Amino acid sequence: MSHERNSEARKWGQPPLQQAQGRLSAVRPHAARLAAMPVMVAVVVAAIFPFTAFGQKPANVKLTEDLPSGSMQAKATSSCLECHEARIILQQRLSKAAWAKEVDKMIKWGAVVDPNDHDGLIEYLSTNFSSDQPAYNPPRTSIEKPPRKNGEAKHAK
Amino acid sequence: MNSRRNFLRQIFGAALTVGAAPSLMSWALPNPQSGAIDVPGEDGLIVRSFRFVDLETPVEYFNTWLTPVPHFFVRNHMHEPSELNPNDWRLTIGGEVEKPLTLTLAELSKLETHSVVNTLECAGNGRGLYRPQVPGIQWAKGAVGTARFSGPRLRDVVERAAVKPTGKHVMFRGLDEVPGKVPPFIRSIPIEKALDADTLLATHMNGAPLTKHHGFPARALVPGWIGAASCKWLTEIKVLESEFAGNFMNPGYRFPNQPGKPGEAVKPEDTHVLTALNLKSVISAPLDGASLKAGEVAVHGAAWAGEADTAKVEVSIDGGANWNPASLGHDQAHYAWRLWTYDWKAKSGDYTILSRATDSQGRTQPSTAVWNPSGYLYNAIDQVKIHVA
Repeated sequence: MSHERNSEARKWGQPPLQQAQGRLSAVRPHAARLAAMPVMVAVVVAAIFPFTAFGQKPANVKLTEDLPSGSMQAKATSSCLECHEARIILQQRLSKAAWAKEVDKMIKWGAVVDPNDHDGLIEYLSTNFSSDQPAYNPPRTSIEKPPRKNGEAKHAK
Repeated sequence: MNSRRNFLRQIFGAALTVGAAPSLMSWALPNPQSGAIDVPGEDGLIVRSFRFVDLETPVEYFNTWLTPVPHFFVRNHMHEPSELNPNDWRLTIGGEVEKPLTLTLAELSKLETHSVVNTLECAGNGRGLYRPQVPGIQWAKGAVGTARFSGPRLRDVVERAAVKPTGKHVMFRGLDEVPGKVPPFIRSIPIEKALDADTLLATHMNGAPLTKHHGFPARALVPGWIGAASCKWLTEIKVLESEFAGNFMNPGYRFPNQPGKPGEAVKPEDTHVLTALNLKSVISAPLDGASLKAGEVAVHGAAWAGEADTAKVEVSIDGGANWNPASLGHDQAHYAWRLWTYDWKAKSGDYTILSRATDSQGRTQPSTAVWNPSGYLYNAIDQVKIHVA
């Protein structure tokens, strides 16, 4: 049995226009300013979210990424990207000891690494993805439909 | 309750918060890069990984009580099943039972349906906020969402198979496709939780059949517990005498019994398997780094507490020096988050806004989460920094 209680008007789910505004600011506009808002919001939203706001598709980014260049790039690619894509590596920021642990875990889990490349692979990963590197900046999935008013509304609009 | 202790805890918590604020400030993650990847049915999510599919909900989508499925985070340890034919799908129930059985989807659909609104959160949500960093998907704040899950009770199926007195744990196996020699994604839950009236074999999410990313045609739904308990693409249920002994029970999904020093290894014998989610709140608006005009500002967010209830949420607009009560949303269910809002008349300046939840068990969000080697259960007081012109 669900423990759900009475569900009143969903004022917590903002209507689509406010939702678009909400991405820019949480300020509630005064009524007098409302008339100018759509244009203003459209311009600013278009500048900041050129694709998400109007459903236009941006130039697509690559589905999967590449590992950084270097003498171990090809070997790391064949050892690691057989099972998963590069982003799983690109987002890590680890010490050399932590990378060594990860590489050994992956070898146990089936990654094929030539014993002669073992130390070089750890060196490559810990040089490129150490904790002093800036954080990886992930892409987003494209938007097919505008955000809905609430969870169960089916394709409103 | 012990109000004196709570009072002292709050004072201590506030002091810690003020002290911790500068270190927290540097933890904000960057905004996603421009450009987008087409993943049908998954709109505007942060791509932590495309293969395997791991997608995070941006916090600005936490503005509805029920998270629309296209905005619901997706977590996979391995490849999704390449083929899922509902006509061929079978669910077997075996192990420590008197009458092992096999169900088709049509047979499962004939069982009495129940619904539970549940906040589902990946145990690793917030892993990317721990310092020092730990390996794994670097989730920020959005590996969490709330949906109405529907389907038969797990106990109606398990009891039909007649559990023997020796049956103490219930194991789930999904149809995930295992790469290389990776251990299969198999976990178990204690029989008490499996027989709870709110634990489901969910076939529907927000009124529609599960999508592939969320476990079509059926998944376990273990409410209030870490997402990993709610096995997707369920194909086998096995009643066991003891906890399943596999990678995703040990060493995976375990937490230190005692908080240790950040960065230090924890002995396996000093850990326990994760079950219920933590108490937590997040701010969904304004966004971190936002620049606002002076005037009425509504600070929004969500708060949840696993198997407990969210009792209150407080908001600080001065980095933790003073706390103000937020209003909780009307929509509520036992295992679901509460949306909250705090209206604030903002004057120009730079602000650090914090949110802090307290639950029905008297727990209050800490200023610093308990560091652990796998980065689980991050639940520090949330914060955003904004500028008001």
